[in-house]
Amino acid sequence: MSTFIDGLSLGSIYALIALGYTMVYGIAKMLNFAHGDIIMVGSYAILTTLLMNGHPVLAIIAAVVICTALGVLIEKLAYKPLRGASPLAVLITAIGVSYFLQSVAQLIFGAQTHPISLVHFPPVVIGGVTISVSAIISLVVGALIMTLLTLFIKFTKLGRAMIAVSEDRAAAKLMGINVNMIIMVTFAIGSALAAFASTFYVMQIPNTSPTLGSMPGIKAFTAAVIGGIGSIPGAMLGGVLMGVVEKISLSIPVLAPYTTALEFSLLIIILLVKPTGLLGKKRREKV
Amino acid sequence: MAGYFKNVKNSFKLKNYIAYIVITAFLIVSASLALTGYMNRSTQNLLTQIAYSIILAVSLNLVVGFLGELSLGHAGFMCVGAYLGCFLANYLHTIIPSRLLVLVISMIVGGLIAAVFGFIIGLPALRLKGDYLAIVTLAFGEIVRTIFKNQKIFGGALGLSTKKYGSDLFIVAFIVVLLMLVFIQNLVKSKHGRAITAIRDNEIAAKAMGINVTYYKLFVFVVSAFFAGIAGVIYGHYATPVLYSFFSYNYSIEILVMVVLGSMGSINGSIIAAALITYINFQLTTKLSGDLAALKYLIYALILITIVIYNNAPGLASVKERLSIKPLLKKVFGRFIKRTNDPAKQKDDEADWDRIPTKIEMDAILSLDIKPDTTYAPDKREEK
Amino acid sequence: MSTMKKIVAFAMALAMCAVCFAGCGAKTNNYAAENTEFFIGGTGPLTGDASSYGISVQEGAQIAIDEINANGGLNGYTFKFDIKDDKATAADAATGYDTLYEAGMQASIGSVTSGSCDSFASKADEDKLFAITPSASAANVIENRPTVFRVCFGDPDQGYLAAEELSANFEVIGAIYDTSDPYSSGIYEAFAAKMAELNVEFNTQTFDAENKKDFSTQVEALKDCDVIFLPIYYTEAGTIAKTAAAKGCDALLFGCDGLDGIAGQLDESVTSEIRYITPFDAASTDETVVKFVNAYTAKYNRTPDQFAADGYDAVMAIFEAMKKANVSDVTISAQELCDILVSTITADDFLLKGATGEMTWDESGACTKVPQIVVLNSNK
Repeated sequence: MSTFIDGLSLGSIYALIALGYTMVYGIAKMLNFAHGDIIMVGSYAILTTLLMNGHPVLAIIAAVVICTALGVLIEKLAYKPLRGASPLAVLITAIGVSYFLQSVAQLIFGAQTHPISLVHFPPVVIGGVTISVSAIISLVVGALIMTLLTLFIKFTKLGRAMIAVSEDRAAAKLMGINVNMIIMVTFAIGSALAAFASTFYVMQIPNTSPTLGSMPGIKAFTAAVIGGIGSIPGAMLGGVLMGVVEKISLSIPVLAPYTTALEFSLLIIILLVKPTGLLGKKRREKV
Repeated sequence: MAGYFKNVKNSFKLKNYIAYIVITAFLIVSASLALTGYMNRSTQNLLTQIAYSIILAVSLNLVVGFLGELSLGHAGFMCVGAYLGCFLANYLHTIIPSRLLVLVISMIVGGLIAAVFGFIIGLPALRLKGDYLAIVTLAFGEIVRTIFKNQKIFGGALGLSTKKYGSDLFIVAFIVVLLMLVFIQNLVKSKHGRAITAIRDNEIAAKAMGINVTYYKLFVFVVSAFFAGIAGVIYGHYATPVLYSFFSYNYSIEILVMVVLGSMGSINGSIIAAALITYINFQLTTKLSGDLAALKYLIYALILITIVIYNNAPGLASVKERLSIKPLLKKVFGRFIKRTNDPAKQKDDEADWDRIPTKIEMDAILSLDIKPDTTYAPDKREEK
Repeated sequence: MSTMKKIVAFAMALAMCAVCFAGCGAKTNNYAAENTEFFIGGTGPLTGDASSYGISVQEGAQIAIDEINANGGLNGYTFKFDIKDDKATAADAATGYDTLYEAGMQASIGSVTSGSCDSFASKADEDKLFAITPSASAANVIENRPTVFRVCFGDPDQGYLAAEELSANFEVIGAIYDTSDPYSSGIYEAFAAKMAELNVEFNTQTFDAENKKDFSTQVEALKDCDVIFLPIYYTEAGTIAKTAAAKGCDALLFGCDGLDGIAGQLDESVTSEIRYITPFDAASTDETVVKFVNAYTAKYNRTPDQFAADGYDAVMAIFEAMKKANVSDVTISAQELCDILVSTITADDFLLKGATGEMTWDESGACTKVPQIVVLNSNK
């Protein structure tokens, strides 16, 4: 049971990261490989604020502000000049950006792992099961953020414009939607989500290093694909599924060394059964 | 007879053979330098690295550039080849004295086993498309190395210890590069190559033309995995131990970077980009030591971003025009260039499939067809 | 558009190759012939996941070089130290080795991680170059390689020691190890073998390089243990300690020398007692240790960990051996120096007083030194 809750809370982190991937993919049609590294930057923002004796809430705000600004900046400098170029060219710039962020972090903060103590909660015992409070918080807040995001996309003008851009960019442009602005907003939201993900991340795993973002990034991307890339509920479902599977697999000693293989096999099996992911829309192929 | 030779002469294009010529010349020069002891070991190592990078990049280009499917798991095939090929080589060394023979046998076997894995990963490719397939190939690479990591027989976390070939390995590696080029250049020029590019350009149209899409997709994955496996065996003979952590998705992406920088579907481009990137990495690794090492990826990242933005940014097209040396070259070599610009002559120019001016967009033709619910127009007139 | 572009590109590629050849001179047996300083080299992960270990070794070794040079070097010649980045891969370690060897490296501190040190050491063994690795503890690194030595404990030794210590003092024993790391699995396997020999049962949980950020599952499974054996590095162990605190698990955490540096990872939430076997204790009052810690803290503004101390000792071992053998030729070839160093370092009267204690070496390449057990949070 405790393993399951741990899985859910890890899953909510994956889900938040996966949302960033999925939104950017849905709207800008690119794989943003640097997304994982934005989480890393967020964790360093928290670390720096705390080192300057900032309040934890201030640290979280700083992370959100810095990540959002960084997301927009990266989009402006590295991706916008390539609007209209092949998606693979953009993919390579994204990889470049990822390397860039990692080495800058190493140059500034050094390669060693820095411990971060954001908040401490004593563990609670519910029905004989010890559960860490930070896990519950990330679960609840994660769910809340995702609900707000869904509402935002469904019911605001900006959100609907985002759907329009992802459905058909040219048509959206003809309808008077400022596509560049929408893409920028998408990056901003995705990066802000990454900042929240990094907050929960350091709450549960209280340290940071320059390569912090790469593995969660790739797993979250997998989660986004499992759920059906481009679909917001899909990203949540995929993220939670990944988290739970990872934790359950790790808790079985025989399977534990094969956890990564198991997670990725799950992906392959799901995609073979449902080629567009669990909640992905089936697109009719036109000739 | 004379007419036949005239045709042969006309269809001989330097660019189709320039890769062979340059690599052969280069191989002869460097091999003779190395064998007479005038080349130092680190240069020979660099050449080995370049050789297996070329094999990886060109074989990946077959999938990405020619078949048009994004693969992020190329290092996985290399991993299979490296582990199994070198495992076999370790055994063969006990019974066969010739190191060359051991290398060749293990390369073939390693390649073949990798090819079997290529077949396995080709199966999802029949059902999945685009980014979904890409993530499956990435998953495949991660699964493969996780499995190898946990096998005691392959050394577990310590990696598989191998017997190194020696620094003249690059000679064998470049011969493999040449053989591969002969195979792949001929493949893409043949009707099979055209079938593969037809699938890339429009799968449904290709199917309608009677191309066996299943067969060709699997075929490309198998061939590509075969060469990646061979590259893996060469890697295993270059550095010991063969360690699972080397074959991560980051390495697959590095190979992809070579393919994209060299422009997709261009074999010569892949060769140049593979050599260039390996060279840059080698220089950055060896020149930036100690405190400067952290700058390595910073510089590498900036080089990558700059090249990609310069090459691809639509906004920079006019700047590129101005900086291009092509007009100058045209002035100087105008006579030669005119001939290659003749569209009729460019028809069989496979390496540049995308840029052929006479190529008709399949989409453009087929989108004009009659919608199912419109009635045939000429009949209407009589009805009135 | 592309024909000319490609021809130009090929011309550039050719030019590039010409540049590679430009560096080739005539074949020479002694690359150190033009050295003006003694040259010690090595490789280590300076970027990527394992970079904190490589950088610690680099910094520790640099402190040793600074100290040696400040004291006038050896016979009037100063020492030069260069470490190449190998990203903990075998291929880059080989590249780094050849580059250093051709640049005139005369003795080396090998590589930092076991995998790349295997690659480095195999080359050093072929060339007969002296290598003394600070931290590559896997048994196969020094096996059958007469020119390769190590400063750290071997993995199996620590596993045996821990098994004896734990089986004697505790009832319910758990272990968490990293299946993807040679250091961790090396110790664990020896530990498990010894425990089987002693007929003591224990529970095991694992993690790997892809899943080493979150340990809630492993701690959950072992939280009723009296002691958890952690043959892993301090970064992960710190996270485990904090996870244990968050989960209300108060088992004692017992580790090996990789746990050194864990004090910097802990915060006030951690209440579990932590013990680890280590040759190095930054808080020690030993004269050599104090000197090293002070110099390190002054230069890098942080407390050295065991990797830094090992790096320091590896360079010092080379220096002391050269000093004892009174090497005066700065252009001595790597092979000649190797013979001198091997015979000096394995001699009965050679004893190094380093930051990780007093050390002696034998022909196997293994180091003999006294382990001590450091205890943290023992107040409860």
